[in-house]
Amino acid sequence: MSTVQDFTGYQPTWCPGCGDWGIGIAIKSALVQLGLSPSSLFVAFGIGCSGNMNDFLNAYAMHGLHGRSIPNAIGMKLANHKMTVLAVVGDGDCYGEGGNHFLHACRGNHDITVIVHDNRVYGLTTGQSAPTAQKGYKSKSTPLGIIEESVDPLSLALTQGATFVAQAFAGDTIHLGQMIKQAIEHKGFSLVNILQPCVTFNKINTYQYYMKHVYKLDDTHDKTNMLTAVNKARGVYEEKYALGVLYQVEKTAFHEQIVQLDSTTSLKDRDKFTDYNQLLPYFK
Amino acid sequence: MKTFVWKIGGEAGFGIMTTGLAFSKIVSRLGYQMFDYIEYPSLIRGGHNAYEVVVSDDRVGSSPGSIDFLVCLNKQTFELHKDQLSDNAFIIYDKDEFIPETKSTLIHVPFKKILFSLKGQQIMKNTIALGASLALLGTDLKIFNELISQQFRRKGEDVIKFNEQFAEKGYAYIIEHYKENIQQVLLPLNSESQLVMTGNEAFSLGAVIADCRMYVAYPMTPSSSVLTTLAAWQKTSRMVVRHAEDEISVINTALGGSFAGVRSAVGTSGGGFALMVESVSYAGIAEIPLVIFISQRPGPATGMPTWTEQGDLLFTVFAGHGEFPKIVLAPGDMEEMVGLTTEAFNLADIYQIPVIIMSDMYLSESHSNIKESFVTDLIKNYQVNRGKTITQTNTTPYLRYSDSSDGISPRLIPGVAGSFYQANSYEHFEDGHTTESAEERIKQVDKRARKIRTYFNNDFKTPMIYGNFNEAEVVFVSWGSNKGVILDVQKKLRSRVKTAYIHFTHVYPLKKEAVIPLLNQDKRYVLIENNAEGQFGKLLQMGLGISFSETILRYDGRAVSQQEIINKVNLK
Repeated sequence: MSTVQDFTGYQPTWCPGCGDWGIGIAIKSALVQLGLSPSSLFVAFGIGCSGNMNDFLNAYAMHGLHGRSIPNAIGMKLANHKMTVLAVVGDGDCYGEGGNHFLHACRGNHDITVIVHDNRVYGLTTGQSAPTAQKGYKSKSTPLGIIEESVDPLSLALTQGATFVAQAFAGDTIHLGQMIKQAIEHKGFSLVNILQPCVTFNKINTYQYYMKHVYKLDDTHDKTNMLTAVNKARGVYEEKYALGVLYQVEKTAFHEQIVQLDSTTSLKDRDKFTDYNQLLPYFK
Repeated sequence: MKTFVWKIGGEAGFGIMTTGLAFSKIVSRLGYQMFDYIEYPSLIRGGHNAYEVVVSDDRVGSSPGSIDFLVCLNKQTFELHKDQLSDNAFIIYDKDEFIPETKSTLIHVPFKKILFSLKGQQIMKNTIALGASLALLGTDLKIFNELISQQFRRKGEDVIKFNEQFAEKGYAYIIEHYKENIQQVLLPLNSESQLVMTGNEAFSLGAVIADCRMYVAYPMTPSSSVLTTLAAWQKTSRMVVRHAEDEISVINTALGGSFAGVRSAVGTSGGGFALMVESVSYAGIAEIPLVIFISQRPGPATGMPTWTEQGDLLFTVFAGHGEFPKIVLAPGDMEEMVGLTTEAFNLADIYQIPVIIMSDMYLSESHSNIKESFVTDLIKNYQVNRGKTITQTNTTPYLRYSDSSDGISPRLIPGVAGSFYQANSYEHFEDGHTTESAEERIKQVDKRARKIRTYFNNDFKTPMIYGNFNEAEVVFVSWGSNKGVILDVQKKLRSRVKTAYIHFTHVYPLKKEAVIPLLNQDKRYVLIENNAEGQFGKLLQMGLGISFSETILRYDGRAVSQQEIINKVNLK
């Protein structure tokens, strides 16, 4: 059995009080509870404060380019589907720069877990507004207030085919850990959107702000009802943030539908192709 | 050497391509060498398509520029190509459509009437025309009927018979009405078995032979047929073939696959490659092997999608921000395409870098034949060489980017228990963790750069020289797909002037001490490129300080022709 210590890399460089600390702990505890080890785990990190977890979380990891973690994760899964695959990304990373990859990964139902640090600002570049910033939010890049409406990432995922959609709050690491654990256990595309204060640059969406505006979904919530889930997701525009699993259905994952992959042997480990008598007649 | 050109033209969307390929396969099975070339607009229907096949009893790699047998499925074909007709040309046409005004021998075949009498569709006009062509060229329908059976096998005997009768009608019409015009130019030759393939198919086959297990692409002319070919084979080859949402996803999926341990490749044209460039740089710093196939077409931007050019060489060579090594290879024909593709996968693994194969529309979409034994020997003899790729390690912590005298660090395939590491796009320590230390930075930059020295020592290939270099008065210098036309021209000039051809396949990086002695002799050098700026010449100028006073640069979307090279040589 692995321990939290096994997953612990270098000392993090996040700001004191940053939501990333709680997310880091929640991810590690979920991995330990699932009996995973750094050697059985692929992580694709994006670029940003979230992606900087690369040095603090031990795994076989790609710390790639801003916005491109999801295709990295998909490639890793297809090459070795025996491994668990996470993408640890930020809001600008996943919903801005990599938005196209995000919506196509949802509809592909790739068996990866996307963990989004949603703090509504670009922290690492010193506080410009992110795609999830509320309309009117003033930042260095939008001093007069952002004109666009914020992205509604949960509805986006729901309507594009994600089979597991959850939201959590960085201030409640126990619940967050449960969400991450369930997302990893889910077979198919899973999203955990994490509401996370940026203590340095976002003076609006603070811990106090979220304490006031979040609520947990109770047992009466029907996780299989898409329209109910979308209604809860749309609460973002009324500053009502649902926490919990909004939606979960069982569907065959992408790699399970690729006929040339079998359940026992990964693409990496299968035998080399040798039956050229099947191919050469094509050229005659 | 006996060579002739057969060309068929008609409205786009009515089966010209299928018919042309059938002709290429028939002559190849009869033992002839062939090279074909297609012209088509970037449209699905309504434009003009033409398919030209050069047939010879010797090796051939380009069009001589004249047409001996022109099959006109419409009037436009005649109008567009009449100026290329050779002195003793034959024209197959239907007088119910139009009557050609020409000195060439007219061979009327009533396409329309035959179609009507047999209740055929427009597309079957091709079948009649090919049947008639084969009769006029002095062969039978045996191989054509085999190809028809192959094509319609799944649709049953009735469909096969139905199609065959169109070929028979065309054939019989010639025998009955034009017996005295029949040319005995396709008598079967005793040659060994040959395969007919395009450059894109040759890359696809090479990728399978090299044990590539993941191919990712977004369709872009003229590279798309790699995607469709590998996708068509996937159940047999068991390669995972992914058509991703855009080129950025394409290359990052492939990098994920390669990081996880499978040989991976992507394919595109210039515009798609432009989108991939940031990720090429990631492969450079994170030292992830990757094979990139680029089939060039004329740019900038959308340019001329269905035509040819070598305009992306410098862009490719310098692709990616920052400084990191990469290798660029440029095959000149089908043998080189299959061979260099298999080599590219080894080089990518050995040096843990991106290796790029440069093709262009002319090489990618033209068919040519290749001895079957060349392919079967390659399959038998090819060794997958993964260099310093390892499947276990005793080092703790495992140092993914450990410093080494050859610049290459042992690369552990992920999944091994007890280890972990990251492929980091940030500058990193030897263990892969991010660093901004000046000392560590210099160590890693130098380590990566050292790979090129190792490549020069172990794997760089000095260009092939065709002809007797010492005796040559004229020396052609070129790269990639121009090989075919230059070799053909050398044969034509043989009796008049001694020539040599320096053919570059390993175009970047260039090993100075191996190349300079070839280019600094007292010879008349002529640089030949399919672009406007002489990009390879610039590369030689920059890296080796060599310049050319004589150049042939073509950039109208067409390949360099035999005649323009001959004219250039004759100038002096």
